[in-house]
Amino acid sequence: MVSSEARKKMPTKSIAQEYIKGLWKENPVFRQLLGLCPTLAVSNAVINGIAMGLATSFVLIFSSVVVASIKKLIPSQVRIACYIVIIATFVTMADRFLQAFFPPISKSLGPYIPLIVVNCIILGRQEAFSSKNSVSRSLIDALGMSTGFIIALLILSSIREILGAGTFLGHQVMGAWFKPWIIMMLPPGAFMTLGILLALALFIESKTKKKTVKRTV
Amino acid sequence: MSLSSRMIIVLTSVGIISGGFLVSVGHLTKDRIAQNKQMQIEDAIVSVVPGTSSSQKLYEEKDFIIYTGKDNNGNLLGYAIYTSGTGFQDKIELMYGINPSLTIINCLTILEQKETPGLGAKITDKESFLIYWENRDSSGSLSLHKPAATSLEELSQAEINTITGATISSEKVLQIVNLSLEQLRSLKKDGKFGSEEKDAN
Repeated sequence: MVSSEARKKMPTKSIAQEYIKGLWKENPVFRQLLGLCPTLAVSNAVINGIAMGLATSFVLIFSSVVVASIKKLIPSQVRIACYIVIIATFVTMADRFLQAFFPPISKSLGPYIPLIVVNCIILGRQEAFSSKNSVSRSLIDALGMSTGFIIALLILSSIREILGAGTFLGHQVMGAWFKPWIIMMLPPGAFMTLGILLALALFIESKTKKKTVKRTV
Repeated sequence: MSLSSRMIIVLTSVGIISGGFLVSVGHLTKDRIAQNKQMQIEDAIVSVVPGTSSSQKLYEEKDFIIYTGKDNNGNLLGYAIYTSGTGFQDKIELMYGINPSLTIINCLTILEQKETPGLGAKITDKESFLIYWENRDSSGSLSLHKPAATSLEELSQAEINTITGATISSEKVLQIVNLSLEQLRSLKKDGKFGSEEKDAN
C-alpha cells in the first residue's frame, strides 16, 4: 500500500482504480483499440479466445513486472529493443508450454501465439506504464489490462461461436432449426461483430458521460 | 561509463539472460513436444489401419512416409500413408490406410489443415467428408462426385463426395491422395517395399 505521504506527492489512482480502469475505462480492445489483430483472428471459438487471452495475460504480466523492475538500468535509446527481447522471451515460453501440454489449442491458435510479441497491448503498456511506475503498480495495471482483454475476447468469441456454429465451448446451444451463419466464422464476421461492439461501447460511454455532466452541474 | 557502452552492456545482458531462459525452457519441453508429435502419428496409424498393434516406418521422402500396420501376430494389415500437399489456404497433412495389395483405402484422416473455418475446414468432419473415404477402390485414380451427393449409395466405389461450398478443398485432398497413390504404386513396382508382406505369410 502507498503511504499517505507518498499519496500526497503523486496524485495517482488507488490500487483498486488501477485495476478497474483496464476493465472498462481503458479496456485495451474496446476503448484503446489495441491488439485488434489477434482479437479478430482467434475469436472464432470461445476456447481459442480464452487460450489467447490467458497466453497474452501471462506475457503481459511477466513483461510488465520485469520491465518495471529494471527500468532504471535501461538507457532510453535502447528501451524498445530491450522490451521486445523481454516480451519475445515470455512469448516463446508460452508457445513452448502450449505445444508441450496443450497441443490441440496450440494447433488451433497457430501462428497467433508467436505473434503476441508484436501485440501492441503489451508493448504499449511497457512504454506507457511499466517504464514509469513501480513494480507493484505495473503488476496491478497488467492484471487489469489482461482481465479487460480476456473479457473482450470472451464477448466477441461467444457471439461468433454461437451465431457461427450454434455452439458454446463446443456444446450445442442452438436448436436444430438454427442454421449456422458461416460468415461469423470468417474474417468479415469478426470485423462486423467488433464494429457493432465498438459502436455499443461508444454509445454506453456517451450516455454515462452525459449523466456525470448533469450530476456535476 | 559512456552511453554507448552502457547501451551495449544492457542489450547484451538482456539478450544473454533471455537466451538462457529460452534454452532451459526449450530443453524442458523438447521431449514432451516430440512425444506429442509421435503420439499423434501413432493414433492416426491405428485409426486408419484398424487393429494395428505395431507399426514401423518403411519408407520416407519429402512429404511422403509409408508406415506398416501389423497385428499382434505380425501379420501385415495394411499400410498407413502420410502425405501432404497444398490446400486452398495452406498445407494439408493427412494420413490414409490402404490394404497390402494397394487396392482399397480403409479410411482417411486429416492431421493438419488451415482451410476456411466452416467451409473448407469441413474436410476434418466425419459426416460431411471423411465418411466418404471409407472403403474406396484405389486400384485406379479416385475422382470427385460433383455436385455433392447426399448419401453414400449415390457414389461409385472410386468416387469421393464433394463438400458443398468447399469444392477446392475437397479437390485438393483428392489430388494429394491421387498423387501419393501413383507414387506408392511406382515404389512397389520398383520393389522399394512390399517384401514384408511375404514375410508375414
